[in-house]
Amino acid sequence: MPDRPSSGRNAAGAPLEGRAVGGRPRVQAEHLRVDGDVVPAGAPGASLLEVLRGAGIFAAKQACGRGECGACTVLVGDRAVMSCTMPAAVVTDEVTTAAGLGDDAADLRAAFADHAAFQCGFCTPGQVVRAAAVLRESVDRSRDEIAREMSGNICRCTGYRQIVDAVCAVAESRQAAR
Amino acid sequence: MIGESIRPLDWAEKTAGTARYAADEPPAGTLVARVLRSPLPHADIKRLDVSAALRVPGVHAVVTAADFPEGRVYEHSGGPYSDRPPMAVDRVLYVGHEVAAVAAETAEAADEAIRAIRVRYRRRKAVLTVPDALAPGAPQLHQRADGANVAVATAEHWGDVDLAQANAAFQAGGTFRYPRVNHACMEPNTTIAWWHDERLEMWTSSQAPHFVVHELANLFGLELDQVVCRDVAVGGGFGSKSKISEHEALAAALSMKCGRPVLLELSRAEEFAFTKPRHAFTTQLAAHADTEGRLCFLDAVIDVDNGAYNHYGPSVMRAGIKQLGSMYRPDAVRWDARLVDTNLVPGGQFRGYGQPQTAIGLETLMDELAEQCGQDPIDFRISNSGLPDTTQLSGSQVGSNRLRECLAEVRDRIGWDAKRGPERRPYRGVGVSSGMHASGSYAYPGGNTSAAGIEVRTTGEVVVRFGGADAGTGQRTILGQIAADVLGVPMDRVGVIMADWDETPPDMGAWSSRGTHMGGHAVRQSAEAMAARLCELGAEKLGTDDVTLRDGCVVSGADRIPIENLVDGALRIDTEYVEPKMQPYWTGIERPNISATYAYAAHAVEVEVDPGTGVISVLGYAAVHDIGKAINPALVEGQIIGGAVQGLGAALGEKLHYEGGRLVNAGYVHYPLPRATTVPSIDVGLVEGPEPAGPFNAKSVGEIALIPAAPALLNAVYDATGIRFRELPLTPDVVLAALRERDGVTPRRHHLARRPGRWQIGLFRALYPYGIHLLLDRWGTRFARRPAPRPVERVALPATVAEAVAELATPDATVIGGGTDVLVQRDQELLFPTVLVGTGAIASMRGIEEKPGGDWRIGAAVTLAELATWASERVPMVASAIATIASAQIREVATVAGNLGQEKRCWFFRNGFDCYKRGGVTCPCYAVDGDHRLHHAAIGGHRCQAVTPSDLATVFDALGAEVVLTGPSGSRSVSITSLYAGPGELDLRTGELVEAIVLPASALAARGVFVKLQQWDGDFALVSLAASVTVGDDGRWTGARYVFGGLAPKPWQPPRLTRALAGAVPTADAVAGVLDQDLSWEAHPLPGNRWKLDAAIGLARQATEQLLLGRTRDEESDD
Ligand code: FES
Ligand code: FES
Repeated sequence: MPDRPSSGRNAAGAPLEGRAVGGRPRVQAEHLRVDGDVVPAGAPGASLLEVLRGAGIFAAKQACGRGECGACTVLVGDRAVMSCTMPAAVVTDEVTTAAGLGDDAADLRAAFADHAAFQCGFCTPGQVVRAAAVLRESVDRSRDEIAREMSGNICRCTGYRQIVDAVCAVAESRQAAR
Repeated sequence: MIGESIRPLDWAEKTAGTARYAADEPPAGTLVARVLRSPLPHADIKRLDVSAALRVPGVHAVVTAADFPEGRVYEHSGGPYSDRPPMAVDRVLYVGHEVAAVAAETAEAADEAIRAIRVRYRRRKAVLTVPDALAPGAPQLHQRADGANVAVATAEHWGDVDLAQANAAFQAGGTFRYPRVNHACMEPNTTIAWWHDERLEMWTSSQAPHFVVHELANLFGLELDQVVCRDVAVGGGFGSKSKISEHEALAAALSMKCGRPVLLELSRAEEFAFTKPRHAFTTQLAAHADTEGRLCFLDAVIDVDNGAYNHYGPSVMRAGIKQLGSMYRPDAVRWDARLVDTNLVPGGQFRGYGQPQTAIGLETLMDELAEQCGQDPIDFRISNSGLPDTTQLSGSQVGSNRLRECLAEVRDRIGWDAKRGPERRPYRGVGVSSGMHASGSYAYPGGNTSAAGIEVRTTGEVVVRFGGADAGTGQRTILGQIAADVLGVPMDRVGVIMADWDETPPDMGAWSSRGTHMGGHAVRQSAEAMAARLCELGAEKLGTDDVTLRDGCVVSGADRIPIENLVDGALRIDTEYVEPKMQPYWTGIERPNISATYAYAAHAVEVEVDPGTGVISVLGYAAVHDIGKAINPALVEGQIIGGAVQGLGAALGEKLHYEGGRLVNAGYVHYPLPRATTVPSIDVGLVEGPEPAGPFNAKSVGEIALIPAAPALLNAVYDATGIRFRELPLTPDVVLAALRERDGVTPRRHHLARRPGRWQIGLFRALYPYGIHLLLDRWGTRFARRPAPRPVERVALPATVAEAVAELATPDATVIGGGTDVLVQRDQELLFPTVLVGTGAIASMRGIEEKPGGDWRIGAAVTLAELATWASERVPMVASAIATIASAQIREVATVAGNLGQEKRCWFFRNGFDCYKRGGVTCPCYAVDGDHRLHHAAIGGHRCQAVTPSDLATVFDALGAEVVLTGPSGSRSVSITSLYAGPGELDLRTGELVEAIVLPASALAARGVFVKLQQWDGDFALVSLAASVTVGDDGRWTGARYVFGGLAPKPWQPPRLTRALAGAVPTADAVAGVLDQDLSWEAHPLPGNRWKLDAAIGLARQATEQLLLGRTRDEESDD
């Protein structure tokens, strides 16, 4: 039986039987949906990050512009991606920045505060978005797994322990709340 | 309140991304600035013509040195040390030197204007190393009083050298090298400058607005109150932003020329290449101990690479020396130190400030002396520790000193005794180091002074006003806590305004770990004055003198008055704090006590060294700090962990590599910063106790934590291997080569005389240093092709392969998968496609399906994340390889074809060098003579030494996959090896794309393993190995394929090994033996990457063991 991947992974990492993708040529949308708002799509070839910041959405940060650090991490649909190397033209799903995570991430943000999981804060929106995606996918994760899942987000200040502490604490409390 | 881990005051904004950094929310009409920098390390500017730039539409201003008042230089260290003009005047002294800057409506216009500026240089001989700079006849950068290219020379001593030498019974010594490292603050240096109403308004990423204001006023001849900085969030500093960062003046000059706000934001590449790194030190140090095991004498010869200008080099060098007389109790310290000018980007201030550089020597030799004296390294340090309430050789008048307690506690926390005991595991080791740091320093006039304002508003809010900036140290929160504590108000009523000099009294800013001490005292003092005033007012109203402040009220017994009711309008008290214990450097005091308190620390680290690959894993880390009092323990821990991890980064991998004066590794991908998985969870201990000179007993913590990390690691690696490394960083190549040398392994011979196929390349390489490199670099690169930047005109999202192929007929159309490499290559000026052809909507390329006969077809536009999910049960080797690629975020969008087709990652090619591949046949391969240890081929390199970076290529080759290519004339199938024309170069015909990968059924039945040597999770392979084999019931191997990545331009299969494995029942030793022959006969390494061949053998052993283990496991489960 043909096996088609979908754009998400399920928690157990088991093979996915998913929806078929594509079929019609897609036209580059004129607008993007971001944090519940609509913003113009920008020049062809513009990165998603350029489009966001150009539209006055500053919760995604640029630290490298080359997909190497995670500061620009946003959700596209439910996938956390580097917005700096993602051509805005291929984005069709809703985009969510740290500022748009809303109540879903209230516990996560509080945990970052309580564990002093940021210092300068420049990497933090990206860390929070990445952590939100990791925990949405699954809260049943070991400390090592969480560190691995977060390892694409560079932080030059904290030395990481408190970031991993914070994400682990939320994973545990969400497990308990289940 | 003091001593509580309350949340940082700015947590809500910082975690939501709404905190405003300098580049966020620019004022309307803000222009974008770009800087033209020197491409040469040393040259005269013969002609500089900016007229064409001014004609570019959208350009509003261009500035050069001529736009600044003549002769004006930065103040920096002051007096004779001030040497740097704001832009290059007639001569450039390093690659990156600012020649011109432009401001334009858009980034594109600014870039175009930069390209339109005409500069003619006349090259001068450059001095790129300290020995070159000191060689007789070397060209001189400046007129210096202390000698040619010697900015400062100092040869002095403290104590009685003769007596100390007479006491010496044991001696250890060596030459220690600490390289240039970059701060790599996450926020690049950013400034918005706006000249309006005769005033310069600055939003700038700074730790110390004081210096920005003073330097700009000085450069432009303005009054101090004509320059104002605003309070912005600062994305990391670590010292780099503790003085002016020299880009601010460019933004200011541009704005002053056109009256518009100007945003100057450095790119990450500029940030790495052109901001001032840590000064590289070469320290020849000898340490002596007496018969009792008491350190008695330290003797140092120190050369500091100043770079092209002084900046704070003189005091960095002084701090490095000072540490030798401050840490322990020698009878004498003698030094002969030079700060040497070179044609490299100037060095700057970096957390630890000279001390990490000398600490690697001091702490290594402490271990060596301990060993000679037959003492445990911790005991040896305890017995040599400085004592409380003493004046040290360096002049430091130490109050509290709890180093001994720290050392004792770190011993327990790391499990020292057990880990060094008889049960220890091979190649594991533990090491220790001490560290110390002052809490502020009286290094400049005013360094002993701070000021703060406290305001109580009628709303009941308490506002702290403080002139320094918080770049992530938590100072904002600490100051708020102090005010809240003194005034007895809850934290949620406290606000802190920082760094905005219209609003705050002046403070010199955050440097020298002075934030808590100086700022803390200033806020305490103002808050106490405010408390006294409120009590006075309250007492009047309550009619009693017996009042206290609690819960935002003045309280007497049951009576209370909210403080807001006591203020009319707002009540504000500003006071200035002058630290009485500090002594200045410049008033003739021979050995001044520059600080009021001194903090101490002991760190211990456990490592494991992989003897097969040279990789060091940090297994555990404990840091114990004599902190006096932790005002906010969580923030203090954060400083300690962050500092220790920065120290580990420098120990394990960070180093700025230069080629011809130009930075080679100007990006995160080539600069191995610590990641969440490369460092352990650091265990912190705080030793508290009285320190009357500190605010609430607190001592500093910002810088000290970085200092002991590298020496502790060096000592741990010695404990694990018996090898003393004296130079950072300990990358796998260095470690593996040293292990081989220790074991007396003779270098592999490559029989080149009998391999005519390599003669031409061998000859070419041999001649490189004798003129070929110079010729190609100087003259050949003049003919280099450089693609002209063009915008993307269109993004096509076809629905079928046929449509995609049709789109690719357009010249300059490029296929994009996730886009993760194409946009990067654009940024690196390698590729300017005008049409991007996305494959995400082509259904047939997005699926994975089984074909009749059991083969599997993987669509080329399947993402890595999707493929990993599919493969995790079916072909685990594929999933485990994908887990090592880039980051989860990249894997979500990067596609299979994109991974296979990504360009080489050679750091010369990617970072703008006009190399053979970038520029064409007249250009050199910079790897031949340059740094090729990590990312270049050791087998089969031709004119280009790069390798194919794709891990999937390695894995698919091992699995015997075929690649389906489709173009205008139909589809064809090729093997992985014939997919590549060169390193990271697909051999595609015009209009062809990669449509799918076909994995043979046999691949799914085979047993496979992927192992990869990388510097962090997600790094490109230095060396990798994918091995796949079918194991028969009798244990015999068939169809075995061992394929190496990172070794050769394309995935490489060792021929002898492949033959030997057919039908064999191998062992790891046997595999290693045959592979060794293959490597002897097939490899042609460059001098610096021979180690990769040894690492390949290490990986082959690992992989073979895992494959054999798989067999045992299968057999067991069969039982
Ligand atoms: S800014 Fe996007 S990954 Fe660094
Ligand atoms: S908090 Fe500064 S980079 Fe992470």
